[in-house]
Amino acid sequence: MPQVTERPKPFLFPEFCKGCGRCISVCQKHSIHFADHINARTGVVPIEIDLDTCNACGLCMDACPEPYGLIGRPVDATDWELEDPSHLFGHRPTTAPVPVDIPDQRVALPACEPLVVKGNYAAAIGALLAGCRHFFGYPITPSTEGAELMASLMPKLQGVFLQAVSEVATVNHMYGAASAGQRSMTFTSSPGFSLMLEGISYMIGAELPGVFVNIMRGGPGLGNIAPEQTDIKLACRGLGHGNTHALVFAPSTPQEMLDMTMRAFDLSFRYRNPVVILGDGYLGQMTGRVMLPRDMVKPGIPAWAVWGDAMHRRNLTSSIMLAETDLEQHNEHLNRKYEAMKVEAMADTFVCDDAEIIVVACNTPARMAKGAVQELRHMGVKAGLFRPQTLWPFPVDAFLPLLAHARRIVMVEASPGQLEDELRLALSRADVRTYPPISSVQHFGGILPQQHEIVTRIMDLPAGSHAQAVSGSEVLA
Amino acid sequence: MSTCASFAVADFKSDLKPIWCPGCGDFGVLQSIYRALSAIGRAPHEISFVSGIGCSSRIPGYTTAYGFNSVHGRALPIAQGIKLAHPELLVLAAGGDGDGFSIGGGHLPHAIRRNLDITYIVMDNQIYGLTKGQLSPTSPRGLHTASSVFGSLEDPVNPLLYVLGYGARFVAQGTPADMAGLSTLIEAAIRFKGFSFVNVQSPCITFGQPDQQLKAHKAGMTSLASVGHDPTNRIKAMDLAQAYGSTLYTGIFYQDPDAGPTYEEAVETRRTQFSGKPIVPRQRILENFIPR
Ligand SMILES: Cc1ncc(C[n+]2csc(CCOP(=O)(O)OP(=O)(O)O)c2C)c(N)n1
Ligand code: SF4
Ligand code: SF4
Ligand code: SF4
Repeated sequence: MPQVTERPKPFLFPEFCKGCGRCISVCQKHSIHFADHINARTGVVPIEIDLDTCNACGLCMDACPEPYGLIGRPVDATDWELEDPSHLFGHRPTTAPVPVDIPDQRVALPACEPLVVKGNYAAAIGALLAGCRHFFGYPITPSTEGAELMASLMPKLQGVFLQAVSEVATVNHMYGAASAGQRSMTFTSSPGFSLMLEGISYMIGAELPGVFVNIMRGGPGLGNIAPEQTDIKLACRGLGHGNTHALVFAPSTPQEMLDMTMRAFDLSFRYRNPVVILGDGYLGQMTGRVMLPRDMVKPGIPAWAVWGDAMHRRNLTSSIMLAETDLEQHNEHLNRKYEAMKVEAMADTFVCDDAEIIVVACNTPARMAKGAVQELRHMGVKAGLFRPQTLWPFPVDAFLPLLAHARRIVMVEASPGQLEDELRLALSRADVRTYPPISSVQHFGGILPQQHEIVTRIMDLPAGSHAQAVSGSEVLA
Repeated sequence: MSTCASFAVADFKSDLKPIWCPGCGDFGVLQSIYRALSAIGRAPHEISFVSGIGCSSRIPGYTTAYGFNSVHGRALPIAQGIKLAHPELLVLAAGGDGDGFSIGGGHLPHAIRRNLDITYIVMDNQIYGLTKGQLSPTSPRGLHTASSVFGSLEDPVNPLLYVLGYGARFVAQGTPADMAGLSTLIEAAIRFKGFSFVNVQSPCITFGQPDQQLKAHKAGMTSLASVGHDPTNRIKAMDLAQAYGSTLYTGIFYQDPDAGPTYEEAVETRRTQFSGKPIVPRQRILENFIPR
């Protein structure tokens, strides 16, 4: 009697079916149909096979394009069980050594006289001292001087200066340079920053460092080229799609432009995350005395870099995580990072110890606010200035003690309350339910709040107003 | 729809006084556009003129057409939106070389292949004027600018070859050094049914190269007619376009003698095909929803 070898009938692990339907169309026995449910792990509708009518011809297995899709189930294997291929085969073997960090070095700078430079130049110098040798940018007023200084210095410092074809290209050049573990930065202004957000989201997803100096100008839309502070919302709450955050610095002097840019590079690499520096158009153009630091940085190569040598062979930078569980874990990891970044919150206070009126301002408006506070003190009014130097995370821990004697909070900003929103959110997150009423001095369109307006606003406040539940804000626009 | 009354040059001038630098080539482009529009004879309110951002992009504001300075690099998508919303309008788009070939460069091939009846005028000055003198995509290799301090390391775009390569059906080049010629070109471009592209070598007197000013244009320009060019020959046009950057050819490089339907016509045809009856004109659109 001729021996009949039984052929294997098809088997499918639904997780590996992409629902293309190729198997359905080849099956001559009409044994395959789409299931009536969506697979929870893949989000697609897999096929189902009616093995009773199947004659094991094997056509469907040939047709299935998925490497772990339809396969033949061995006929004799009774206890046979399909497993996840990475469990079956393990990780791909590699002889590459485990990468290690090549640490940064600090190189002492000779002592020198302070420079007198524009805010934009100060930030550029800070970046160079932090070891940034890759600059990408697209011209936009009022930030362009920073890029132009880079254009004249980078080639002499063995660096790269590239004028990108747009801000979209800029951020992706930075993505590439950062993947290789290199320090890169850009200067831009509000409309350009909008265009960079997509790339920033990808960089955060792929955990890549990079420093974005946004010299904010009037908006929305094209707006104008005068100073405003209306990208606070974008930088603190809207860095592209997805679960994104980045440290946001708010310098208010050319010296801080330099110091914060240097610090931004350190932190960007420490947390493997972009860092945003928000300046305003006035600060970028303003000239001031700037002391250089005592040392500069000669960057190493981080272990995670895709540096293209044997040691970094196994590295990969990517923000794509298709399996829900992987992406959830990644987001939990990002959240832990965001939580850890909270220690970087910074604020400066000026005569706040006994202040009953706390003026809150950052960037250039903080300079007007400081003048106003000084003037008010001369008039015997107990005013003080709270100046957040990081806007995300908001330095709420430094703010809370001031509430003990505060009767009023006065926001001074060149925006319709974006800084106020950050403060209110931070207080709410800190479970502070009652705080003094918040008033504000606001200007937009490129006009900055002036010292005399702030003084007048504060002098006009109802005398002796006490701490009370959250009130609606009163605005002087 | 279209008016054919006569409109004088003055009818297209707005009350705004141009704030270009004295001697900027864009003044001549503006004059040529006035002349071309008056020759076409459509009323100013039937014209929509959009631009991107740049010195050159200020141009719509100096005309009485409806239009605006839009988003840097996005004049063409906005112009297409306008044309699709109201196909009867005469739609012009304009901007600088940075606006059109750098940040907006990705839109150009698609505007061309989609072939809406739009005229796109680029004022090509090989520099970024508005942001004060940085490298532009048409700047020659080696050019020293604020952002290429030691000389540019990049080859320039050849806009004429680009658009011919993308399959443009109407491609011309002019210069304000020959305003009569430029007006005629713009007029021909507007009359052309389909996407038309006019590259205008419009010198930037403030940041441009000294040897690329109107005087040099006047001395060096060569009309395509004078070299016996046949504008229905795309390959010959591409051959001549290679001289971009060395010889300033003026005139029509290419005009498709058999350009086919525009996108908006194709949309109309598709609509008729599906509704089985001719399209109700937009003025009577509500009748579609009112039962009789
Ligand atoms: C998103 C964005 N990035 C940058 C700018 C700044 N910007 C305005 S015009 C311009 C380029 C100007 O050059 P071009 O398009 O050649 O026109 P021209 O001024 O020379 O006529 C730039 C970079 C902007 N407005 N928006
Ligand atoms: S083995 Fe043949 S008969 Fe069975 S399901 Fe696949 S194609 Fe159909
Ligand atoms: S051919 Fe493979 S992937 Fe496609 S539906 Fe069939 S089993 Fe799924
Ligand atoms: S900067 Fe150049 S392009 Fe701009 S207006 Fe002046 S001359 Fe014209």
